[in-house]
Amino acid sequence: MDSFSTGSSGSGSPQISTDEFMDQMKVQLAQAYAQEFLETVRGKCFEKCITKPGSSLSGSESSCISRCVDRYIEATGIVGRALLNSR
Amino acid sequence: MDPSALNSPDLQRFLNQEKEKAMVNEMVAKLTSVCWDKCITSTPGNKFSSSESACLSNCAQRFMDMTMIIMKRVQSMQET
Repeated sequence: MDSFSTGSSGSGSPQISTDEFMDQMKVQLAQAYAQEFLETVRGKCFEKCITKPGSSLSGSESSCISRCVDRYIEATGIVGRALLNSR
Repeated sequence: MDPSALNSPDLQRFLNQEKEKAMVNEMVAKLTSVCWDKCITSTPGNKFSSSESACLSNCAQRFMDMTMIIMKRVQSMQET
Protein backbone atom coordinates (compact mmCIF):
# COMPACT_ATOMS: atom_id res chain seq x y z
CA MET A 1 0.00 0.00 0.00
CA ASP A 2 1.31 3.46 -0.78
CA SER A 3 2.17 5.51 2.20
CA PHE A 4 3.30 9.01 3.01
CA SER A 5 5.63 10.12 5.70
CA THR A 6 4.27 12.96 7.72
CA GLY A 7 7.68 14.03 9.00
CA SER A 8 10.80 15.02 7.12
CA SER A 9 12.84 12.21 5.70
CA GLY A 10 14.29 9.99 8.33
CA SER A 11 13.54 6.93 10.31
CA GLY A 12 10.71 6.74 12.77
CA SER A 13 8.34 9.19 10.99
CA PRO A 14 4.71 8.05 11.18
CA GLN A 15 3.38 6.73 7.87
CA ILE A 16 -0.14 7.40 6.65
CA SER A 17 -1.87 5.54 3.88
CA THR A 18 -3.03 7.06 0.61
CA ASP A 19 -6.61 6.60 1.78
CA GLU A 20 -5.99 8.48 4.99
CA PHE A 21 -4.22 11.22 3.08
CA MET A 22 -7.17 11.58 0.70
CA ASP A 23 -9.64 11.64 3.60
CA GLN A 24 -7.66 14.34 5.38
CA MET A 25 -7.42 16.35 2.18
CA LYS A 26 -11.19 16.13 1.65
CA VAL A 27 -11.82 17.45 5.15
CA GLN A 28 -9.38 20.31 4.70
CA LEU A 29 -10.80 21.21 1.30
CA ALA A 30 -14.35 21.23 2.67
CA GLN A 31 -13.23 23.50 5.49
CA ALA A 32 -11.47 25.85 3.07
CA TYR A 33 -14.56 26.08 0.84
CA ALA A 34 -16.80 26.75 3.85
CA GLN A 35 -14.43 29.42 5.12
CA GLU A 36 -14.34 31.18 1.76
CA PHE A 37 -18.12 31.06 1.48
CA LEU A 38 -18.52 32.47 4.98
CA GLU A 39 -16.25 35.41 4.23
CA THR A 40 -18.06 36.22 1.00
CA VAL A 41 -21.51 36.10 2.60
CA ARG A 42 -20.29 38.20 5.49
CA GLY A 43 -19.09 40.93 3.15
CA LYS A 44 -22.19 40.95 0.97
CA CYS A 45 -24.65 40.98 3.85
CA PHE A 46 -22.82 43.61 5.82
CA GLU A 47 -23.00 45.81 2.76
CA LYS A 48 -26.73 45.17 2.22
CA CYS A 49 -27.96 45.21 5.79
CA ILE A 50 -25.74 47.40 7.93
CA THR A 51 -26.05 50.78 6.29
CA LYS A 52 -25.45 52.84 9.40
CA PRO A 53 -23.65 50.93 12.15
CA GLY A 54 -25.17 51.75 15.54
CA SER A 55 -24.15 50.83 19.04
CA SER A 56 -25.72 47.38 18.60
CA LEU A 57 -27.46 45.29 15.94
CA SER A 58 -31.10 46.26 15.60
CA GLY A 59 -33.84 43.67 15.14
CA SER A 60 -34.36 44.68 11.54
CA GLU A 61 -30.64 44.41 10.86
CA SER A 62 -30.59 40.91 12.37
CA SER A 63 -33.52 39.69 10.32
CA CYS A 64 -32.06 41.31 7.21
CA ILE A 65 -28.84 39.37 7.76
CA SER A 66 -30.79 36.14 8.20
CA ARG A 67 -32.69 36.67 4.96
CA CYS A 68 -29.54 37.77 3.19
CA VAL A 69 -27.70 34.56 4.07
CA ASP A 70 -30.67 32.47 2.85
CA ARG A 71 -30.86 34.48 -0.38
CA TYR A 72 -27.15 34.23 -1.03
CA ILE A 73 -27.27 30.47 -0.63
CA GLU A 74 -30.22 30.41 -3.01
CA ALA A 75 -28.35 32.65 -5.48
CA THR A 76 -25.39 30.26 -5.39
CA GLY A 77 -27.77 27.45 -6.34
CA ILE A 78 -29.33 29.43 -9.20
CA VAL A 79 -25.93 30.39 -10.61
CA GLY A 80 -24.58 26.85 -10.19
CA ARG A 81 -27.53 25.33 -12.05
CA ALA A 82 -27.31 27.95 -14.82
CA LEU A 83 -23.64 26.99 -15.29
CA LEU A 84 -24.45 23.28 -15.39
CA ASN A 85 -27.13 23.81 -18.03
CA SER A 86 -25.01 25.97 -20.29
CA ARG A 87 -22.10 23.51 -20.69
CA MET B 1 7.30 12.01 1.57
CA ASP B 2 8.23 8.88 -0.29
CA PRO B 3 8.21 10.04 -3.96
CA SER B 4 7.05 6.67 -5.29
CA ALA B 5 3.75 7.17 -3.46
CA LEU B 6 2.94 10.01 -5.85
CA ASN B 7 2.60 7.49 -8.66
CA SER B 8 -0.45 5.91 -7.06
CA PRO B 9 -3.20 5.96 -9.72
CA ASP B 10 -5.79 6.38 -6.96
CA LEU B 11 -4.03 9.49 -5.75
CA GLN B 12 -3.64 10.91 -9.26
CA ARG B 13 -7.30 10.37 -9.99
CA PHE B 14 -8.25 11.92 -6.66
CA LEU B 15 -6.05 14.97 -7.20
CA ASN B 16 -7.41 15.52 -10.70
CA GLN B 17 -10.99 15.27 -9.45
CA GLU B 18 -10.34 17.69 -6.61
CA LYS B 19 -8.58 20.09 -8.96
CA GLU B 20 -11.62 20.06 -11.23
CA LYS B 21 -13.98 20.50 -8.29
CA ALA B 22 -11.92 23.44 -7.02
CA MET B 23 -12.08 25.15 -10.41
CA VAL B 24 -15.84 24.69 -10.63
CA ASN B 25 -16.26 25.93 -7.07
CA GLU B 26 -14.19 29.02 -7.81
CA MET B 27 -16.18 29.77 -10.97
CA VAL B 28 -19.52 29.44 -9.18
CA ALA B 29 -18.33 31.55 -6.25
CA LYS B 30 -16.99 34.32 -8.45
CA LEU B 31 -20.08 34.32 -10.67
CA THR B 32 -22.44 34.38 -7.70
CA SER B 33 -20.55 37.34 -6.26
CA VAL B 34 -20.62 39.31 -9.52
CA CYS B 35 -24.24 38.46 -10.32
CA TRP B 36 -25.42 39.19 -6.79
CA ASP B 37 -24.01 42.69 -7.10
CA LYS B 38 -25.63 43.17 -10.50
CA CYS B 39 -29.04 41.69 -9.77
CA ILE B 40 -29.86 42.10 -6.09
CA THR B 41 -30.11 45.83 -5.81
CA SER B 42 -32.52 46.15 -2.88
CA THR B 43 -32.56 44.77 0.66
CA PRO B 44 -32.87 40.97 0.61
CA GLY B 45 -36.44 39.73 1.13
CA ASN B 46 -37.97 36.40 2.10
CA LYS B 47 -37.64 35.17 -1.43
CA PHE B 48 -36.33 36.40 -4.77
CA SER B 49 -38.71 38.12 -7.11
CA SER B 50 -39.02 36.40 -10.48
CA SER B 51 -37.03 39.19 -12.10
CA GLU B 52 -34.23 38.75 -9.56
CA SER B 53 -33.93 35.01 -10.12
CA ALA B 54 -34.15 35.46 -13.90
CA CYS B 55 -31.42 38.10 -13.66
CA LEU B 56 -29.15 35.77 -11.68
CA SER B 57 -29.61 32.93 -14.14
CA ASN B 58 -29.15 35.20 -17.18
CA CYS B 59 -26.13 36.84 -15.62
CA ALA B 60 -24.35 33.51 -15.20
CA GLN B 61 -25.07 32.43 -18.78
CA ARG B 62 -24.12 35.79 -20.33
CA PHE B 63 -20.91 35.77 -18.35
CA MET B 64 -20.02 32.40 -19.86
CA ASP B 65 -20.96 33.62 -23.36
CA MET B 66 -18.71 36.62 -22.82
CA THR B 67 -15.85 34.40 -21.68
CA MET B 68 -16.06 32.45 -24.96
CA ILE B 69 -16.06 35.65 -27.01
CA ILE B 70 -13.05 37.00 -25.17
CA MET B 71 -11.13 33.76 -25.57
CA LYS B 72 -11.84 33.61 -29.29
CA ARG B 73 -10.87 37.23 -29.74
CA VAL B 74 -7.58 36.85 -27.90
CA GLN B 75 -6.89 33.66 -29.86
CA SER B 76 -7.50 35.38 -33.21
CA MET B 77 -5.28 38.26 -32.16
CA GLN B 78 -2.47 35.86 -31.36
CA GLU B 79 -2.80 34.20 -34.75
CA THR B 80 -2.28 37.38 -36.81
